[in-house]
Amino acid sequence: MATLDPTPKSFAEKLQSVPKPVLYLVLFLLAALPLFFPVKLPNKPIDASIDFYAHLMQLPEGSKVLISSDWTNSTRGESMGEMEALLRILMRKGIKFVVYTTADPQAPQVARDTIRKIADEEGKAGGYRYKPFEDYVILGYYPNGEGTTSAINNKFLSICEGKKDWPENSPPRDVLQSPVLQGIKSVSDFKYLIMVTASSTNTVVLERVTKAPLMFMVTGVMVPENTTYYASGQLKGLCGGVKGVYDLETLMEDGLNVEGPHKVLSEKYTDVIPGFPGKQNAGKGNAYYPSLHFALFLLILAVITGNVGMFLSKRKGA
Amino acid sequence: MTYNHDLAVLSVGAIATIGLYTILYRENRFYRFFEHLFLGLASGWALVALWTETLKSLWWDKLVGASASDGNSAAMGYWVYIMLLPIGAMGYMVFSKKHNWMSRIPIGIILGLYSGQQFNAWTNRYIPQMAGTMKSIIPTAGFFKPDPNALNPALGPVKGDLYGSEALNNLIFIFTVLCVLSYFLFSFDVKNKLVKSASLMGRWLLMIGFGAIFGTTVMMRFSLLIDRMFFIWIEFVKQGLFHLK
Repeated sequence: MATLDPTPKSFAEKLQSVPKPVLYLVLFLLAALPLFFPVKLPNKPIDASIDFYAHLMQLPEGSKVLISSDWTNSTRGESMGEMEALLRILMRKGIKFVVYTTADPQAPQVARDTIRKIADEEGKAGGYRYKPFEDYVILGYYPNGEGTTSAINNKFLSICEGKKDWPENSPPRDVLQSPVLQGIKSVSDFKYLIMVTASSTNTVVLERVTKAPLMFMVTGVMVPENTTYYASGQLKGLCGGVKGVYDLETLMEDGLNVEGPHKVLSEKYTDVIPGFPGKQNAGKGNAYYPSLHFALFLLILAVITGNVGMFLSKRKGA
Repeated sequence: MTYNHDLAVLSVGAIATIGLYTILYRENRFYRFFEHLFLGLASGWALVALWTETLKSLWWDKLVGASASDGNSAAMGYWVYIMLLPIGAMGYMVFSKKHNWMSRIPIGIILGLYSGQQFNAWTNRYIPQMAGTMKSIIPTAGFFKPDPNALNPALGPVKGDLYGSEALNNLIFIFTVLCVLSYFLFSFDVKNKLVKSASLMGRWLLMIGFGAIFGTTVMMRFSLLIDRMFFIWIEFVKQGLFHLK
């Protein structure tokens, strides 16, 4: 039979032993409530995000980029927001793209769904609706990331041989027949290789691709590592985590060096780089950023509470 | 897709999400069921993708060739691709006590290919970082960088000039690099007080770095939770059940 503890807990002990279910409940509430009441938090985009945005916006219409989409639903919270922001920019600028993955067999389908969603959204908003095979091609999944990435750098078309993709309402066709791949002979024919990644494929690409400039969209946990690559100039732009997505969405709304109530300034770029005011720019970055602040506030509060409790109990003991 | 189909998909997703979060309360069968369901789905998907996205397109189709159809041109088969089958199959000999030596052949080929890439890989990854570390610490202009938004463009920063504040940043960077490198001087006994102090500082700076990395890790985990909350409350309840925007 269980015995009851005769001595009640002191205030200091209570502070150190908040029940886990209570903490989880508060965390769930704090993470969920701001989703119902969207607020626009002030934001100053960081240089890495500004570079990412500016490089994309400076591409002429009809340019082509290669996208390595190495994420699945397990990192939807960050990677999907990044992919959506990227796709909105590419589709509005009329940039065609080729997608491949070396990370996960599920990644091509996740990318396909996201592209379809944003293409439909742009189409409904009165813009051009991107069509598979005509405006973008999905090469699919490749095992052996090291070998495939070396092949991409040395003989890009070799990875396309034998691959098929689905044009709209048609059976699959050889990807080499797609208009997107016309004129592409080497990876250097792409303006950028953009990675949307949640895995270590970032270093595989960084180590092997030398013929195309690189830009990465990574999860929050990968930001410290990739910041060193950005600082050394190995990456032309970097978008990291929810903050990176929020930066891109801010830039898409306000532009860069554009006069207005929320002017975003950059020392690097003297030109005015417009945004897309009046369009659907707010995505997952705007939706998640306030919740993230609330959750981090709870974490800091919990750390302080625990430490105050420990300090009080030590003082009492002394 | 119909509304009912979309709602059914959302409902399954919401139930699975709640099922997986019940582990926070305690280990239970509801959680176990969805965990195994997820593992089964992922394995099944990977198995199909292994054939459709890899073996078929990259090996089988090249081996047998294809006739012209649906806009695709005919392709000749290359029977030499059959040579890959025994090499790949040898990998499975690792399960045989008698013939497991054969598995070392494909492993050796993979190791050889990988090792051959490493010199280039290392160079591409680290040499630009070493070059990036060589930063100037001697300013060539005033301390504070002028406002780039100054009304008079002549008052803005001059390209190529290193301002005092930037030089200070570079100095902190180089100091950090040197201190952290000195922490890893394991090959000889360090007695010099200066190097010892730098090493101790290096340890502290590493801890600050690890703290920052841990902070971003926590932030990422929170983002994943927020996304699940968004899925349940906004996508499923608000938009799916109540059709609210």
